[in-house]
Amino acid sequence: MFQLQSVSLHYGGVVALDSLDLELSAGEQVCLIGPSGAGKSSLLGLLNGRTSASQGEVLVEGTSFSKLSRKVLRAVRSRIAWVPQDLGLVSSLRVHQNVACGRVAEKGFWGLLRSFLWMSAQEKREIHELLKRVGIEEKIFVRVDHLSGGQQQRVALARALYQKPQAILADEPVSAVDPERARDLVALLTSLAKEEGITLIMSLHDVALARQFFDRVVGLREGRVVFDGRADEAGVKNLYRLEKSLPEMP
Amino acid sequence: MRRRWFLLGGLVLFFLGLRVLDVGLGELIPSEGGRQLAGEFFAAAFQPALDYEDVSIREVGEPFFSKVGKAAWLTVKYAVVAMSLALVLGVAGGILGSRSWWNRPSRALEALRLFIRLLATALRSVHELIWAILFLAAVGTSPVAAMLAMALPYGGTLAKVFSELLDEANQSPAKVMQSAGGSGMASFLGTAVGAMPDLLTYAMYRLECAVRSSAVLGFVGVPTLGYEIKVSFEDGHYREIWTFVFALLVIVLFFEWWGGRIRKMLVTGVPSRTKLEAGASVARLWQQRGTSLFLRVSGALIVALVSAGWLLEDRWGAGLSAAQRWENLQRFGKELVPYPVQESGDWSKVWGWLGQLMREEGWEAIWRTFHLGTAAVLLAGAVALMGLVWSSRSLATIEPRGIPVAGGRVRRLFGQALRLLAVLARSAPEYLLAFLLLQIFGPTMWALIFALAIHNSGILSRLGGEVVDNNDSGAAEMMLSSGASREACFLGALLPEGFNRMVLFLFYRWETCIREATILGMLGVGSLGFLISEARVSFYYDELLLWVVLGASLVFVGDLASDFVRAKLRAGGQAVPAGPACGLPTVNQ
Repeated sequence: MFQLQSVSLHYGGVVALDSLDLELSAGEQVCLIGPSGAGKSSLLGLLNGRTSASQGEVLVEGTSFSKLSRKVLRAVRSRIAWVPQDLGLVSSLRVHQNVACGRVAEKGFWGLLRSFLWMSAQEKREIHELLKRVGIEEKIFVRVDHLSGGQQQRVALARALYQKPQAILADEPVSAVDPERARDLVALLTSLAKEEGITLIMSLHDVALARQFFDRVVGLREGRVVFDGRADEAGVKNLYRLEKSLPEMP
Repeated sequence: MRRRWFLLGGLVLFFLGLRVLDVGLGELIPSEGGRQLAGEFFAAAFQPALDYEDVSIREVGEPFFSKVGKAAWLTVKYAVVAMSLALVLGVAGGILGSRSWWNRPSRALEALRLFIRLLATALRSVHELIWAILFLAAVGTSPVAAMLAMALPYGGTLAKVFSELLDEANQSPAKVMQSAGGSGMASFLGTAVGAMPDLLTYAMYRLECAVRSSAVLGFVGVPTLGYEIKVSFEDGHYREIWTFVFALLVIVLFFEWWGGRIRKMLVTGVPSRTKLEAGASVARLWQQRGTSLFLRVSGALIVALVSAGWLLEDRWGAGLSAAQRWENLQRFGKELVPYPVQESGDWSKVWGWLGQLMREEGWEAIWRTFHLGTAAVLLAGAVALMGLVWSSRSLATIEPRGIPVAGGRVRRLFGQALRLLAVLARSAPEYLLAFLLLQIFGPTMWALIFALAIHNSGILSRLGGEVVDNNDSGAAEMMLSSGASREACFLGALLPEGFNRMVLFLFYRWETCIREATILGMLGVGSLGFLISEARVSFYYDELLLWVVLGASLVFVGDLASDFVRAKLRAGGQAVPAGPACGLPTVNQ
């Protein structure tokens, strides 16, 4: 689904990604692991065209992001959901209104406004069903800032699923919760993505979580791929060293 | 060290201001006549009029309370109608003046943004009273003139603050929506609805201000409560004045209470009514959602007030025909041209005219206006600061900050009394206070300084109180636990830690004081307002325009200077929140 060909990304003089080559297939579940500043968020930013590569090409289904018109780019983005670290929820809105934001491309300005003000009964039912799948259906009409951190993550997840995406890009979505909640959420996200056949690319800090839930783990350090494959015994030591920002073992 | 320099600088500026304004301590003691008048005036406060003091009017005029009610309704009416217009301007200007709706930056958008921000600042630089004078001079007395006079500066203020609130709102939802394929405007909804509680909070606060401004417009002939107060004063009917003053206070306090309650509900939200059940249907969960009857009634009331304001009265007034108004406007337009140019048609003569006016009166008036605003805000700041230790909720109590300390009961009572005084002080419009104080002290700048200082000390004491009460560093608790007195705890921990924020608030109010200082002179004491007033009664509209532009320029420069200092304070201070309202839009401007 995504291909990165000799991609570099510079912010001023700082190299965020350095000559990266990577292929991510449709339906695959990939975990990005690496210390802070390794380039995980930058890589996710490239995958839905939020940032442009300084060098090289980022292809989505065979077409370079740089060659897409604005209209086509929006259409492509509408199939890629993004869950940022801070979740990007509107805290003063209720859960159903936040979830409705997932279909912003389809609804447009007026459609979304209508959903905020007078959501149809059918849409409410659809969102209610979706919330059942993430386990917070009774919270559908609660203001987001009245929910716990874990519940808010589920809202963000429901919003991503409501988008009916082909891929979900999740940037450390569990960094702010305790290990138990983090495990629950990663389990939920990976299982739902598997059921729907959605490509999932998630960045994490926790190697144990990555090993437990992902078949493929991509380790990044200083903008380069230092590990790519199954987190089996052979590679896991290096991954743990990566987690602790230690140099790679020979 | 910086704090010491700041305090020293403030002190020097205050005394320099007194020197420039040529006020002496001797003027603080009213004359024999002034004392007598003050005595009669304040004694009348205890027995406000329940009917006309002039018995002859009782029989022929409309019932007294009908007159009070009508003036009160007009005060509210002009305020809500002006605010409805100002909101349209504010929302449009707020969006166009912010970056939050852009898909991507461009020079054209940046130029548009800067233009709108400058326009908004220019609109708000001219005080509503001066706008009213200009409109009344241009088209004659009409409700529309009064509404526009308030709507323009309020629209400018709303546009400025809205654009800042939008720019500083959480942009993350909008980014997620753009990443999901949303257009710039659709994604902007994420930012706008996120900022909505702050936007509505600020709009409610402006509505409270609009009620005060509406009353003040009475002093230039708009038939609101201010007009009745002025007329009663001219007739020497002090008890009637107090009836109108109390009516105004009741309205202002009601709006403050109402706005405060709405604001609180918008920010915190309404919790669900019952415990939510996991297996419940959508319809059932919808019924259980948190709703507020109070918010619904408030919304309906606002809509009803605005509709009634627009529909219930002849907007143009019956006094003048459209042709007469058009003639007035044309004459006004012609007379705005500087006098020597009107005579000769030679625009090169403008410079001589301008130079002469500036030399004779202009520079001095600007200098005095600047010092009037500055001296007043410094006095207000000092009063508020000194009162904080006795008025803040967390200190003026039996257990300050949760720690038992001796001697709290009297303090608690005293604190409540001080807070009530602060509410009354900030509810009274500066112009009205100045009008009353001038009658007591006579024509001295002290009256204007005190009027501005009283109103602003009420506001600053509330802001300062919140800084003190919200301090959670733990240092104050530690000092109190170690046996320190409340005063020592305030001076040793709370004041140093909150100093930056308090200075920030002082600059907010300074900007407002400069704006108010430009008009207080209209009550007859030398400053820019005095020149405006003189030019108005002499029908020298060219001079009137010059003084208005000068006043606006002073406010404009004050705005920019205040913005600059606040940005510096935010950048340098550790605990100063960003935002046009510093997290407290209730008392901004």
